[in-house]
Amino acid sequence: MKQTPEMDAIQRQMRPGVITRDGFLGSDARKLADILEFDNAEVNRLGLTHEGIAARMRELRDAGRKGIGLATRVDPHFEVRVDSVRGKLPCPFGHAGLVQKMNTTVRNLAGGREITYTDLNIHMIGGHGFYEGRGSAFRLEPSELKEILEIPESPPPPSPGMPPGLR
Amino acid sequence: MLTAFLISVGVMCAITTVLAVLMILADATIANYGDVRITINDSKQITVEGGRHLLATLKDEQIFIPSACGGRGSCGLCKLKILEGAGDPLPTELPWLAPDEQRRKVRLSCQVKVKNPLRIEIPEELFNVKQYEAEVTAIRDLTYDIKEVRLKLLSPAAISFRAGQFVQFEVPPYELSNEPVYRAYSISSDPGKEDEIEMEIRYVPNGICTTYVHRHLKTGDKAVVNGPYGDFYLRDTNRGIVFVAGGSGMAPIKSILHQMLNEGNRRTARYFFGARAVKDLFLLDEMKDFQSKLPDFQFIPALSEPGPGDDWSGEQGLITDVVDRCLETVDNTEAYLCGSPLMIDACIEVLKNKGMPGELIYYDKFA
Repeated sequence: MKQTPEMDAIQRQMRPGVITRDGFLGSDARKLADILEFDNAEVNRLGLTHEGIAARMRELRDAGRKGIGLATRVDPHFEVRVDSVRGKLPCPFGHAGLVQKMNTTVRNLAGGREITYTDLNIHMIGGHGFYEGRGSAFRLEPSELKEILEIPESPPPPSPGMPPGLR
Repeated sequence: MLTAFLISVGVMCAITTVLAVLMILADATIANYGDVRITINDSKQITVEGGRHLLATLKDEQIFIPSACGGRGSCGLCKLKILEGAGDPLPTELPWLAPDEQRRKVRLSCQVKVKNPLRIEIPEELFNVKQYEAEVTAIRDLTYDIKEVRLKLLSPAAISFRAGQFVQFEVPPYELSNEPVYRAYSISSDPGKEDEIEMEIRYVPNGICTTYVHRHLKTGDKAVVNGPYGDFYLRDTNRGIVFVAGGSGMAPIKSILHQMLNEGNRRTARYFFGARAVKDLFLLDEMKDFQSKLPDFQFIPALSEPGPGDDWSGEQGLITDVVDRCLETVDNTEAYLCGSPLMIDACIEVLKNKGMPGELIYYDKFA
């Protein structure tokens, strides 16, 4: 997919040292448009939507906030810890405002696997279909999110071929 | 055809090379700001090499401004007044600066480049901040995810700090970081022992500093810290004291308890410590020791979700519920909170609902 100059500018924002020390792309050398398109296809293949994935991440985070910093049980078989550190980050896609540095760790006690995501991850997935580049410390694999967070399949999105970041 | 293609490639390479050389020359000449004078508090002048950010420039001059993000503009801690020479705030600073701060010319020192003569104000207490070389003398597992790290100070060999303050620990380059990184940790040790400091560091997934401390740091290693920083310390009043902490938020409270013991402080103090299960509790013997030595101190651990084999007969529930239930009055009482921002916000609400004025609630959101 052809990448627009606007997306070039966003990709520059994602480089190490601009917004975060390590950036959002890890060792991924692909164009941002290709990263978005690839993950969009994967999410479609899994029968999910970016909005649905973000909604589930937000739902578990909100349930975990009740532990006020400690891990807490969330039905049916999750253990969720929500914690935050000092600071806020802007969205590399240029949205106004800042996102609190909040980490949510979800352990699926039935499957024995866990995953950690940030509030910025939730925003970038729901708003832009962006899961970070391969090799990034905060890269999230859609298939792992589906399995660990037990995300049910969603009805097909209005434009299944186009991730929100490219719409 | 092939010749034309090769000539095109050659021309493109030549143009690219010329542009690269021009950029290097421009960086060395046009962007060379030379020596720049900085006037501090209208009483001291330093001359520095221009072109770098103010935070890093001051650090080279042994003037340490607190920063929790290493100068990325994402923590908002490194605020200073820049009265002249810095121009208007940058877009990267604006989210951090309240209108009143902008009027008072407060800026983020990590975002302001030193290009012109500057007139700045630095809080006097920051001139007491020093960089210390140290050696790791002990590392102890307090829980499965919290380590206590003790440092012997080498140069300078002594530090003067207020119990409750924090230092910045330098993580040297290693597999997760190709440059030094600083992170802030409260001092947990006795302020009377000036030749050492202790910190309690909880492992955070993907955390550069906590991964280094938990997986790489060992006894005998050299370490660098700078400090002390912060205004979380015991106020000199005769009010009763409520401490509330969770996890590694134990650190500054423990240091304050040492201070109370050293001073023969007789104030009433109740310490509510929140954990999930027995495996998350630590320093129980030390707390029992404080309880026996301080005249009116009580340590009240509370578990939110005790494990099946925990055999727990103490307080149960979220720490906010326990504080609400056990604290009969907040009259003539002040509170000191340290831990997760979520816990602190929830505790502030509980204490205010019980009638404690906001100005008597002091907190440190994991500084």
